[in-house]
Amino acid sequence: MSLFIERLVNGLADGSIYALLALALVVVFRSTGQLNFAQGEIGTLGAFVVSTLTLSGLPVWLSILLAMFVGFVISAGVERVVVRPIEHRNPGAVIVALIGVFLAVNQLVAMFWGVDARGLPNVFPDQADDFVTILGAPVRIARLGVIGVLIVVLLLLWLMFNKTKIGLAMRAVANNQESSNLVGIRVGTILVVGWGLAGAIGVLAAALLAPSAGLTGTLMLGPFLLASVAAVLGGLDSPVGAVVGGLIIGLTEAFMVGYVDFLGADMLFPVMLVILLVVLLLRPSGLFGSERVERV
Amino acid sequence: MSGDALLAVTGLTAGYGPVEVLHGLDFTVGEGEIVVILGANGAGKTTTMRAVSGMIPRHGTVEFGGVDISGAKPDAIVRAGVSQVPQGRGTFTDLTVEDNLECGGYTVKGSIAEDLERWYGVFPRLAERRDQKAGSLSGGEQQMLAVARAMMSRPKLLLCDEPSLGLAPLITKELFKVLGNLRDEHGMSLLIVEQNAGMSLALADRAYVLETGSIVATGTGDELLADDTIKEAYLGVVN
Ligand SMILES: Nc1ncnc2c1ncn2[C@@H]1O[C@H](COP(=O)(O)OP(=O)(O)OP(=O)(O)O)[C@@H](O)[C@H]1O
Ligand SMILES: [Mg+2]
Repeated sequence: MSLFIERLVNGLADGSIYALLALALVVVFRSTGQLNFAQGEIGTLGAFVVSTLTLSGLPVWLSILLAMFVGFVISAGVERVVVRPIEHRNPGAVIVALIGVFLAVNQLVAMFWGVDARGLPNVFPDQADDFVTILGAPVRIARLGVIGVLIVVLLLLWLMFNKTKIGLAMRAVANNQESSNLVGIRVGTILVVGWGLAGAIGVLAAALLAPSAGLTGTLMLGPFLLASVAAVLGGLDSPVGAVVGGLIIGLTEAFMVGYVDFLGADMLFPVMLVILLVVLLLRPSGLFGSERVERV
Repeated sequence: MSGDALLAVTGLTAGYGPVEVLHGLDFTVGEGEIVVILGANGAGKTTTMRAVSGMIPRHGTVEFGGVDISGAKPDAIVRAGVSQVPQGRGTFTDLTVEDNLECGGYTVKGSIAEDLERWYGVFPRLAERRDQKAGSLSGGEQQMLAVARAMMSRPKLLLCDEPSLGLAPLITKELFKVLGNLRDEHGMSLLIVEQNAGMSLALADRAYVLETGSIVATGTGDELLADDTIKEAYLGVVN
């Protein structure tokens, strides 16, 4: 029982990080219809910014907020400077350009911060004795903190999308850009904000992951792939789906490695692909993706 | 007329890429007037609407309320008081009816609660379906929603792109009654482009006929209704 609780919490915590990253992917996909290949790398860059800032003496939480702002600006810039001009001329080429951004950011990180792994302090207490006991199981506070962050981010996003004017505009733009323009929404501004938001969330995910995973230039490679699977699994246009997809992957990882002897951590990707395949065969638009109800 | 017209368009040309679709249109819409532009498929009706609302590059002058809006962006034109009901309605199908209306009021500063109630009053069916996704409404209901959404920005001029498209005659009649009421009870000016000559000309104060990007005839609604060539081309009456 105690082991089960531990694995459950670990699965939910890792799943929360995938969920955050998948959310970022979905926010961009809904508005622009693009899978942002550079999403993970912008997160990695942000995590290095956190590292630099904490080394200069800033508190970890403040460093993360500032790095999220950096992620916002970079991601917004990618939309404005790379994606939009190319999309106008050749929509199919955007995906290639985003892979280019992925490589560029990756190189940039190596140039500025080198290739050696470094540690990143945890924003939550993470000493040997920083745990609470739940149903007899020792659960690390840092792990619970990650789950808490996901909950807070979800709450803030929900409030933004449903209770603010800019959130309404973001939903409108995701649904119909031409009509958004006609009601007076500046579509370009909304797209920039959406991408920026995704960039900030990606940095947050990376900053939460780095303390346990170790900060290297390839920090977000695996998580990005898993988050892509999570987003497709949940339905690329569904924030709820992204979160559910992320948690499913985190839990699968934790329980598979823990309980199924012959399946090691290496088998996570193949197993996830099988799950993905089965889900898509049954529901082509993913678990929560919209099969649009539309009368013409 | 053009001196005190609400909308005065002169020498309007527009197109897509190298292709010019509109070859210098002149037309006006006066205060409290319903003007219809009649044209067959591909005549350039939608292009005209998109040029007026700033959705595509255009040349010539577009004056609204005496102000030159030829170079203005779509959101500035909405703020100035021009609102469009696009062809095919263009409702936000994934959003609820109420969200659609709130989007319509996006440019309004301050509360739009009263506007919501006002247009729910005009369109009670929308009020009943306010929490339903717009995509699940019938074609007629979506067209009503598109009109209500356009009115949420408190426009002085409403542009309607083929409002009768795909609607049963009875629904079209109901819709045109609503459009007439906008003029008669709310003091609105309307520019309607249509292929449905019979019903739209009966409603129009004045009308223009658009053929392959040029205006070829103009007159009052009744004059054009009585015109033999119009009858032949748009009403299928053979003399
Ligand atoms: N996005 C576009 N790109 C290129 N050409 C276009 C585009 N939209 C319209 N056209 C062309 O412009 C011309 C006028 O089209 P427009 O849509 O204005 O006609 P319309 O009068 O609204 O027709 P309909 O009654 O079918 O809606 C047509 O020849 C059409 O092929
Ligand atoms: Mg048209």
